[in-house]
Amino acid sequence: MSVEAQQGIATPRIPAGLGGLLPALILIGLFFVVPVLALLLRSVTDPAPGLQNYAALLGDGTYARVFFNTFLVAAVVTIVTVLVAFPVAWMLAIMPAALASILFGIIILSMWTNLLTRTYAWMVLLQRTGVINRALMGAGIIDQPLPLINNLTGVTIGMVYIMLPFMILPLVGTLRAIDPMTLRAAALCGASPLAAFRRILLPLSLPGIAAGGLMVFVMSLGYFVTPALLGGTSNMMLAEMIAQMIQSLLNWGLGSAAAFILLVVTMALYALQLRLVGSKRAVGGA
Amino acid sequence: MKLIFAGILAGLMATTAAKADEMVFTSWGGTTQEAQTKSWAEPFSASSGIKVLQDGPTDYGKLKAMVDAKNVTWDVVDVEMDFAIKAAKDGLLEPIDFAAVPKADLDPRFSNENAVGSFYYSFALAWNKGAVSGEPAGWADMFDTKKFPGKRTFYKWSAPGVIEIALLADGVPADKLYPLDLDRAFKKLDTIKSDIVWWGGGAESQQLIASGEAAFGQLWNGRVFALEKDGADVGVSWNQNLTAADVLVVPKGAKNRDAAMKFLAAATSPTGQAKFAEASGYAPINTKAKAEMPADVVKGLPDAHVDGQINLDMNYWAEHRDEIAKRWYAWQAK
Repeated sequence: MSVEAQQGIATPRIPAGLGGLLPALILIGLFFVVPVLALLLRSVTDPAPGLQNYAALLGDGTYARVFFNTFLVAAVVTIVTVLVAFPVAWMLAIMPAALASILFGIIILSMWTNLLTRTYAWMVLLQRTGVINRALMGAGIIDQPLPLINNLTGVTIGMVYIMLPFMILPLVGTLRAIDPMTLRAAALCGASPLAAFRRILLPLSLPGIAAGGLMVFVMSLGYFVTPALLGGTSNMMLAEMIAQMIQSLLNWGLGSAAAFILLVVTMALYALQLRLVGSKRAVGGA
Repeated sequence: MKLIFAGILAGLMATTAAKADEMVFTSWGGTTQEAQTKSWAEPFSASSGIKVLQDGPTDYGKLKAMVDAKNVTWDVVDVEMDFAIKAAKDGLLEPIDFAAVPKADLDPRFSNENAVGSFYYSFALAWNKGAVSGEPAGWADMFDTKKFPGKRTFYKWSAPGVIEIALLADGVPADKLYPLDLDRAFKKLDTIKSDIVWWGGGAESQQLIASGEAAFGQLWNGRVFALEKDGADVGVSWNQNLTAADVLVVPKGAKNRDAAMKFLAAATSPTGQAKFAEASGYAPINTKAKAEMPADVVKGLPDAHVDGQINLDMNYWAEHRDEIAKRWYAWQAK
């Protein structure tokens, strides 16, 4: 068959596929594209036409600090989540299916519990007079309470806990798809367990790490409740600042500009990841 | 453009629109709104036949979105007084119809053309008796980390209160507080910054003091009242207690304006105010309410501590809200 003939067969399929997609496209257009455009427009028209909102945000040390905090917290949370989630996911991938499904149930169950309740529970555990500090002081391990709350430590602990399922689930999928024979083959060829992990397991699980990592990072960027309750005022993240601008100061132009900057930076990071890992891997295709 | 954006927002929120013999009351949720429902809404519905739907929490962004989109689903909203003054200037509020709402007995400090008082409260100094040795006597002691070591808790958001406390502690006389000397206030706050734990909401402030996580702090008197009711071992100093108020407003273009005005009359009546004060520990804004309240409740109100009481200047705050907020959050983030 000629190249033209192949295209001739392929072309009619595209409109047909698009036709089926139309309801979905309308939905996305109405509920995602239009609001984002409205946001963009407001950021350059409120209170007056021009770029003054962006100038105010980018030219001010306080806002710069909040932007920096936001990305710092998201990066730290993502890295710690990967480190904690990997062994759990590996265990889930290799253990008997019946036991694994019970553990899955427990992990999913935590996601169904109210976020505020879980965050308050962490406050009770982490504060100076909390369970952890009391136990450590009672055991004579420390004499001064550890500063576990109202700082980056508190935010990281609370957010990693909330993000874990989003990392574990894609990772288990990827790890299960890896043929265990490859690891056995590596051992037979004389690779140490560490070398087998580094050269076989880790590279093969990268798509799962990338997919989960991206999800955790992007969700962390917009996080609100946990940083507000477990962080200090110097850990303020962008979402909290935007909420203040919109809800209490009624400065919608500035809030919209901040939200739009966050959106653009997030999209840029996503595009970068697509280039680095490839589109299939970035969205979790193994 | 504005309309499209606001329209989308308001469209998404238009879930509680009320019918003809109904109206929507919006407040901050929690024990405060429960008390408002019991003391105001239920008796009002029983006598007028107008059903009062509850919504919340109060959200100034939503209120503005509704008014901008001309699709107002809230009829009466409980807001902070400095916000009400600013919102009236921005044209977001209906004037109060004082033909329907009797004005004579309302405390003039907490009512104006576009708002009637909801309740008033004081910031008082409260402490956990187990965590503090001795008795802090006033705001200056909150800045004395040698005499009173430990964490101290203050209200997190930019609002009337903390700036004034810092200035009073630094020796500014009460009648010279305004205009606020922000440089001086932040310099004073810098001296204890690492010892401050912020509270963002009333429940958090109670939790911090009850657990001893913060040894002492600046609390709403209603929260001290709740702590005492729960049997927590707390002390309180009313010295230089600072009054502020919540007010009730009707958003511009509210669909049930007449019902809203009738509701305001009931909420600000001596009986409505007395019942609410009894349930919440906050003070009535109707001067005749005290006559209807048990003596032991009256004793615990800010009204019983007018000696040395300071009224936070809501007009000053309404005027300078944005510029103070900008400096406040910049200082906090440092």
